[in-house]
Amino acid sequence: MIDVVFQLIIFFVVTLKMTSDVNPDIILEDGKNGVTLTQDNLPPSTLEIELDRRGRISIHNATLNERLLATMIKNRINRHGNEFPVLIRADRRTQHEKVRKVMDICTAAGIWKLSFVAVQEHKAAKK
Amino acid sequence: MAYKRKENKGESPKLDMTPMIDVVFQLLIFFVVTLKQEDILAKLSAARPAPNQDEKVKEQQQDLINVIVAPQGFLFNGRPMRLPELDRAIERLSGYSKTAMVIIKCTADSPHAFLVQVLDVCNKHGMTNLSIFSM
Repeated sequence: MIDVVFQLIIFFVVTLKMTSDVNPDIILEDGKNGVTLTQDNLPPSTLEIELDRRGRISIHNATLNERLLATMIKNRINRHGNEFPVLIRADRRTQHEKVRKVMDICTAAGIWKLSFVAVQEHKAAKK
Repeated sequence: MAYKRKENKGESPKLDMTPMIDVVFQLLIFFVVTLKQEDILAKLSAARPAPNQDEKVKEQQQDLINVIVAPQGFLFNGRPMRLPELDRAIERLSGYSKTAMVIIKCTADSPHAFLVQVLDVCNKHGMTNLSIFSM
């Protein structure tokens, strides 16, 4: 029994992510028909831009301004070319003009293909 | 000098397991309580042409579907629609061509949820040529 319990504990320790690296305030819209995001179809070069309902831009929950985001995308293009996936994780209540700003920064840098993140299946308890 | 070692004769001393089990259970309960499952996410891809290319793209493509996203709802080729109607309209047109260009124009004050809904409907019916424009 102790063996089993230890196994469980090790499992939980390994799977538990203590600090969340995404902005917790963002509520995503449902999108059941999109391509499922898994670890496999997300290369490490993926850039995930978060946009909350007030238009605050962040990456891994660290706020950026528009100029910094543009610089960051340019640096990434220098390293990976302009083929890396860009995910926009925008809140469902964000006005389009805020989303437009982010999209314009990306197109200005030469990235035409953008993806929006949506919830395919709800697992977490709703707030 | 004769040094007499204490020898263990067969039986090992009994280890008291009770406190260890207590601690392990505490840990177990802690992890079960703090573990939360993540939502399964999906991505909806679309092209975002540069603003100065708008006119060129429109001229090149003959068979295009025009969806306008406004705060009140959707305009499909000029006709106001709700999401279920839009779903049916795109389903019908996807029967003719899956590669027909879908132009999604968003007004500045429309919520992002509407854009995601349109993209989701287009993905559902296999439309691949999606472009987002801002108005």
